[in-house]
Amino acid sequence: MRFFKNWQFSLAFVLFLTGIMLMLALHAIHGEADSPTQQKNKRLITMIQQQEEELEQLKKNINEKRESLNKYQKNLSEGKLETEKLQYELDKLLVLSGLYPVQGEGITVHLDDNTKGKELALQKNPEQTRIEDFLIHDKHLLYIVYELRAAGAEAISINNQRIINSTDIRCVGTTIQVNAERLAPPFIIKAIGDPDNLTRVLETERSQYNILKMAGFPVSIEKHSNLVIESYKGSYQFTQAQPKEE
Amino acid sequence: MWVPFLGLLIGLLIGTVLNIPIPGVLAKYLSIAVLAALDSAFGGIKSIFEEKFNATILLTGFFANTLMAALLAYLGDQLGVDLYLAAVIAFGVRLFQNLAIIRRELLDKMVEKRQLKRRKGDNSE
Repeated sequence: MRFFKNWQFSLAFVLFLTGIMLMLALHAIHGEADSPTQQKNKRLITMIQQQEEELEQLKKNINEKRESLNKYQKNLSEGKLETEKLQYELDKLLVLSGLYPVQGEGITVHLDDNTKGKELALQKNPEQTRIEDFLIHDKHLLYIVYELRAAGAEAISINNQRIINSTDIRCVGTTIQVNAERLAPPFIIKAIGDPDNLTRVLETERSQYNILKMAGFPVSIEKHSNLVIESYKGSYQFTQAQPKEE
Repeated sequence: MWVPFLGLLIGLLIGTVLNIPIPGVLAKYLSIAVLAALDSAFGGIKSIFEEKFNATILLTGFFANTLMAALLAYLGDQLGVDLYLAAVIAFGVRLFQNLAIIRRELLDKMVEKRQLKRRKGDNSE
C-alpha cells in the first residue's frame, strides 16, 4: 500500500493507463491503413462497390433486352399479319395463274361431233351436205369458254388441258389445238364455279351451247359438288411485259 | 519527478505496440474514457502542486470516472440522447481549470526560485 501511496508512482500508474487508452483510442479512430483488417475491409468495400456497379449494368442490360423483346414481339405479330396477307395473295394468285390444280364445285360440259346428224344428212342429201357443219369447231369451244368465264367460272379445262391467260384454242386440220396439244372429240369441258349459275348461262337461248344443242349436237351438262381441274403443264414466256414500277 | 513521465512514455509505447482491434462502435466510448482519464491525471498533478495529493482519491477517481464516462456515453446512445456531452463539458471544464491552476503554480514556483537566487546573490555579496 505504501508503494501505491507514493505520489510519484500513483501518478505514473494513472498516466501509464491514460497513455495506453489514448493510443488505443487513436488507433481505433484512425486505424492503421495497412493493417490486415483494414485492408480486408477496404477490399470488401471495393468488392461491394464493384458488385453494385455490375448490378446496375445488369439491370440496364435487362431493361434493354426487354425493350428489344417487346419490339421483336410487336414486329412478329405485325409480320405475322404481313405473312398472312402475303399467303392469302399467294393462294389467290396460285388459283388465278392456273399453274396449280384446283378443286371445287362446278360443272362438266360434254360436246361431241354430230355424227348421227351427219349420217342422216348424207343419206338425205349427199351433195349439199357440208361435213364441217356437223363437227365441233374451235370457235364453239372458244365461245363456250367465254360464256363460262362470263358466268364466273374460276378455272376451266378442256379435255384436261387447263385454260390459262395465254391458252390458244385453234383449228389445226381435223383437230383442235389447245395449249399446243391436239385434242379430238368428244370434248369434256370442266369448269369450277357456281354450278347453277354456270348452267343457267349456258342454257340461255343465244348461248353457243344452246345453239349446238338445237342443231342436234350430242351435248350435255352435269353438275358436280367436287371437281378437280388439273394444272397447266406447259411453258410460258414473259420477255416483253414488265411489272409496272409504282 | 521523472517517474510519472516515464510512466506516461511507457504507456504510450505499449499502447502503440498493442494492436487490440477495437470494434468500431466501442471506439467513441474509449474516446470519452480517455477524456475522463486525462481529467483525473491533471487533477492529480494539480493536487501535487497544492500539497493536497491523495493517492486514494486519484486512483479511485481515475477508475470511477473513466468507467462512468463510458457508461454514460453508452446509455446516451441507447436512449437516443447525447449524454456523452455531459462528460465532455464536465471534464473539459475541469481540465482547463486544472491546467490554469497548474500553470499559475508553476509560474509562482519559477518566480520564487528567481527571488531565492537574487537573495542568495545579495547575501553572498
